[in-house]
Amino acid sequence: MRRYELLQSIVPVLTDEFIICNLGFPSQELYSIRDSDHNFYMLGSMGLSSSIGLGLSMEIDNTVISIDGDGSVLMNLGTLPSIALEDSKNFILFIVDNGSYGSTGDQATQTAKGTSLAAIAKASGIASSVEVPGEQAAETLAKCIKTPGPHVIVAKVEPGSPKLTPIPMTSLAIRDRFREAVKQAKAQA
Amino acid sequence: MSAGDVNQALLAELKANGADFFVSVPCKLLDGFIPTLEQDNEITYRAVNREEEGLGICTGAYLAGRKPVIVMQNTGVGTLITSLCSLGLYYRLPFLMVISHRGSPGEPIGAQVPMGTSVESLLKTINIPTYMYSDPADVKKIGQLVPFTDVAESPVAAILDYDFWGAR
Repeated sequence: MRRYELLQSIVPVLTDEFIICNLGFPSQELYSIRDSDHNFYMLGSMGLSSSIGLGLSMEIDNTVISIDGDGSVLMNLGTLPSIALEDSKNFILFIVDNGSYGSTGDQATQTAKGTSLAAIAKASGIASSVEVPGEQAAETLAKCIKTPGPHVIVAKVEPGSPKLTPIPMTSLAIRDRFREAVKQAKAQA
Repeated sequence: MSAGDVNQALLAELKANGADFFVSVPCKLLDGFIPTLEQDNEITYRAVNREEEGLGICTGAYLAGRKPVIVMQNTGVGTLITSLCSLGLYYRLPFLMVISHRGSPGEPIGAQVPMGTSVESLLKTINIPTYMYSDPADVKKIGQLVPFTDVAESPVAAILDYDFWGAR
């Protein structure tokens, strides 16, 4: 299972969650599988999916899922203690761990050599931090959505991506569509 | 204006102009302003580990309709440039950066001077509207930068030196 198949497998468990999706191939893949006004596609700022999701989770009742990557989380480990301290019940950090920098040519990351992001997350104070095979990730995500967080799910998959094209939306279109969807969700809450 | 007054006055002006969500990374020049943020019950305030993380959290808050301010030392601009470009500028995110200016006259530590000298030109090089203040009486002008972020539809920087903070 690669990230693409993993993302395909989790889409059926999603309902009204807001998704912050990591830049590059992950956003292209999520866009091609299930575009939604609840998706915020990052186009740059590698490492900040977790932080953006954390900030959003502080402000809304809906579940917020940051879809992140192992390389990106390794760039911004400092946000894991912040997630623990904030203790947002509605926040899930979903790390696609394929042990590689997938958007730049599949160079290996440290998780391919033994580093456990779930263990780092747990040591940072996030009690619900688990590593699961990609095939079990959808079931784990469904459980986490139903129980108070914060949760960290590290889904182990193989490197590799299908060939896709860049998302045909401008940054401002992504921003404004997402803000409007959040506004409507807040108005209904 | 005493050092304590400038902290209260600055926060009051920022709030009066709509700022309601603050993050900070520490600085000696901010050792009065950060407690002022901590003690204010009307705003959301969080200490963060790094400026980029703060930008991310502020982006999430902005997407939910809040008006964020990043409070930081000028050295943090060095770690923030890429994310300012590909997130702050590319998505045209209107938030204010309140930046204390180490390495400017009054500075006792030589290692602070190179970044202190470069910070204004670094921000201007990436086209962040950037303004320098030295007088505590300028708190009104700094407060007015909060709505100016919406006019500019951009991150905006206010760089506040030793004289502003009454620190020399």
